[in-house]
Amino acid sequence: MSIAFEPVKLATPFFIATVILEIVLARAGKIRAHYETRDTAVSLGMGLGSQVAGVLTAGASFAAAVWVYQYRLFAIPMTAVWAWVALFLLEDMTYYWFHRISHERRFWWASHVNHHTSQHYNLSTALRQTWTGGLAGTWLLWLPLSFLGFPPAMVAIQKGLSLVYQYWIHTEAIRRMPAWFEAVFNTPSHHRVHHARNPRYLDRNYAGILIVWDRLFGTFQPELDEEACRYGIVRNLGGFNIFRVAFHEWIGIVQDILRQPRHTLGWLFGPPGWSPDGSRDTSARLKAQWAAANPAAAEASVPTPAAPQESRAGT
Amino acid sequence: MNTAFFIQTAASGVAIALLVALAAWAKIARPGSPLTDAYARALFAQEFPGRILDGVWIAGDGAGAVAKSGGLALVLCQVGDAYMARQLPWAQALAASFRDGRVRIDLADAGAPCATLVMPAWPPQGLEKVRGVRAA
Repeated sequence: MSIAFEPVKLATPFFIATVILEIVLARAGKIRAHYETRDTAVSLGMGLGSQVAGVLTAGASFAAAVWVYQYRLFAIPMTAVWAWVALFLLEDMTYYWFHRISHERRFWWASHVNHHTSQHYNLSTALRQTWTGGLAGTWLLWLPLSFLGFPPAMVAIQKGLSLVYQYWIHTEAIRRMPAWFEAVFNTPSHHRVHHARNPRYLDRNYAGILIVWDRLFGTFQPELDEEACRYGIVRNLGGFNIFRVAFHEWIGIVQDILRQPRHTLGWLFGPPGWSPDGSRDTSARLKAQWAAANPAAAEASVPTPAAPQESRAGT
Repeated sequence: MNTAFFIQTAASGVAIALLVALAAWAKIARPGSPLTDAYARALFAQEFPGRILDGVWIAGDGAGAVAKSGGLALVLCQVGDAYMARQLPWAQALAASFRDGRVRIDLADAGAPCATLVMPAWPPQGLEKVRGVRAA
């Protein structure tokens, strides 16, 4: 099952051209970007694998959306401008919560972690996409949009547009966008924070297109000049094996469950870094430790009233 | 899946190969130098803030380091132009296999199963001088 307009597929030549441009400009010293050859190969290989895996699971998720659409509450026309505006907002908020749960619960983190495994932050990192998203079932979060009455094809197009938007923000070449833009939209600066493993930056800036969701739900953290982003995950991978990148957290979950089956629910749905005896670090603990060691900096940090207690640590 | 899909996938594979070749040609990885004692200590401080290091041993090729911090071994290992770090019980690190000038430390981690470091000896030389370790 497919739709006629697929933004990600159409944007692929643009992805390739801009990666070339970033590499060439960095080589010429015109912009800031670092590319490590094997890291680049893994990122691009994950992107290709994600497309293949997507073909295998997209049919099922799209069929589910079509099934739900039969029972829709409203008939929303695909041709109405207001419908696209409404879908833009609702889909972007759905993405925010999808992204947040993908960081704060280990089962979904296992699928998403690969996107964060690069210690680099360049346009190729954007293409380091999951192979197991379909199996993790996060596509279920988008079904309510079809239940509301948005045609499944319309939702799929908007999801694609969101992914394409999020591509260009994976770069160090752009320092800051104009203030008004930074206030409303997700930007390279905001997303660098999201990819950083510094304790103060962990589990922040989940936005897809609009950064306003993070501001609204208390997870916004601006990039600070005094603290450069260190990219990757709390426990970085030990090599460039693409299968390890894709499956290491799933393997870790299975190993933990086999070792302590009575804690299966905790191993599956606890925050990353959770352990029954507290011997591992969640990002909440890492942030608390950092705040205790740096009280002045912690005090100066932007308040986050709804800060999550979960983490992407320990991975 | 149809023929178009396979053609598209094959074309993407070719594009990836060309992009990786371009990245290799560009030589724009992070500039780095082999680990020194000071550099390793700075990285340990970054990875394990607040930990007191009783002793640090740098790999012979500068591509990693091991530190003793109380009952823990802290391990740094080069990965491309960056590093990964892990901690494990010191006794577990001491039990690592040592062969042909390389110590292979089992990290028991799906993301980084082991760390292989070039060392002149294992257990590391000078260990008896380290605080908290009794001479044999």
